[in-house]
Amino acid sequence: MTVPTLAPEGHLLIVGAGLAGYHTARGVRAHGHTGPITIIGEEHRAAYDRPALSKAYLTGAAAEEDLLLDDPEDPLDVTWVSGVGVVGLRAEPLGVHTDDGAFHTADAVVITTGASALSLPSLDSSEDRGGCAPARPYVLRNMEDALALRDTPLHGADVVVVGGGFLALESAATCVARGAGSVTVAAGEEDPGARRLGSPVARAIRSAHEARGIRFAPGARAQGLRRRPPSDGGPHYEVLLGDGGVLPADIVICAIGAEPRTEWLLDSFVRLCTQSGAVLCDDTGATSVPGVYAAGDCAQWASHSSGLRPVGHWQEAFEEAAVVAAALTGSDPVPLQEPYFWSDQFDLRIQGVGRIHLADDVTVVDGTSDGGDLLVHYSRDGVNVGILGINRLRDVTRWRRGSRIRPASAEAPGPTPVSA
Amino acid sequence: MQVAFRACSVQDLTAGEGLRIDSVSPPIAVFLTEEGSVHAVDDTCTHQDASLAAGWVEDCRVECPLHESTFSLLSGAVDQPPAKRPVRVHHVTLHGDDVLVELSQEAPNLPPGMGTV
Repeated sequence: MTVPTLAPEGHLLIVGAGLAGYHTARGVRAHGHTGPITIIGEEHRAAYDRPALSKAYLTGAAAEEDLLLDDPEDPLDVTWVSGVGVVGLRAEPLGVHTDDGAFHTADAVVITTGASALSLPSLDSSEDRGGCAPARPYVLRNMEDALALRDTPLHGADVVVVGGGFLALESAATCVARGAGSVTVAAGEEDPGARRLGSPVARAIRSAHEARGIRFAPGARAQGLRRRPPSDGGPHYEVLLGDGGVLPADIVICAIGAEPRTEWLLDSFVRLCTQSGAVLCDDTGATSVPGVYAAGDCAQWASHSSGLRPVGHWQEAFEEAAVVAAALTGSDPVPLQEPYFWSDQFDLRIQGVGRIHLADDVTVVDGTSDGGDLLVHYSRDGVNVGILGINRLRDVTRWRRGSRIRPASAEAPGPTPVSA
Repeated sequence: MQVAFRACSVQDLTAGEGLRIDSVSPPIAVFLTEEGSVHAVDDTCTHQDASLAAGWVEDCRVECPLHESTFSLLSGAVDQPPAKRPVRVHHVTLHGDDVLVELSQEAPNLPPGMGTV
């Protein structure tokens, strides 16, 4: 046991009602915290899980209640403050100012404000627009974003998806499922994910998408979008590529990353990363201000800063919440597991685990790029540091279990070193 | 009265792994534990469409291969999120090498949007 930061009867204030915020509250309760917990959320909605926003929710197969994090049959003992934005953090006395003029005092604060979607710049000049609002793409970050796209007729539409990550590719797959006339992905590289995941994986993803009629634009990065003159007829928008190429589109979906929601902390004493704006934390989630922690997409923990772990995965937010909950309550420290991510695109289930971002070599171990059964190993200096499988659940599970770090406790042996 | 059906042979099973049986709907998973016991539960994780047969079996529990919820092979109960609901447990009897399964009469807890993109 370590010394708790938060007394069992203390008030825990969680800022941000997403995955990390919800699971921090859940973890703290599981560790026996009896004091009040308040979760402030910007949206007028119950806390929900985001992965389905680009998949089942976007096709209409899943409804809002299917995405809820809390169990209505066994709800967390938490006070939800919804539809309220935060404007500032105060260290003395500790608490948070909200945009309705209130000040919420707390014995400990956990910042889980997440990230907001980056967007593509509008390249319209004001006279081109003829009084119209600047051209803006759809993004997919929160339920409102997904709802807007879900309510937009896609049948027969020419869709351009900007971005080459999993969110972009899942969106492209969903648009095909919804009957789009054409879907073109501007991934910013020839084969999507080649730089991050290696050529065999990128080729496998590309060939699966091409087999469903998705086209890939040349590898030049998208520079922005603008309205097309109505006299030209056809699609209303166009995406401009860095090589001068132009992609006409009825619908533009932008999935080019996200930036931490930390602008409300600029006047506080919480240290932020000068590049990304993320809240800088140690590997228990503690920030530079005593009693203030951060987790999830708004935070950059020490092992992220040192390049040991990637930022922004669902699994990171989920695990960090457990680590923070243990730290707050003085419970046995919870170690972070090997990084893990997954993505569903058509009938491909892609799972990656380990230090893939650190690899200097990728080897196909089994399957082929065209077979929907690829298995690759990643290595660094000749040591296997990660694995990625396409429809290889059993292999990925085995690797993941083999590298699992056991929690340190009185009963269990200490953490085993990872071969990375 | 519910009649048991032959799901597979014990010879088809590998200790510590599951075998997906999709001749029934929803599909079930039959497990042979390292300790030698045979169990059958619904194959689909209640959180998201993932085959529990590909999951990790330990201490008479199976961990979903997609996330970290684990289900008891004895009761079907789930231990931690993201799954919230248990899987159904089906009654297993062994007749020689034949694994006979009597399907649960409860309604399955299937994940939302199953079988879609």
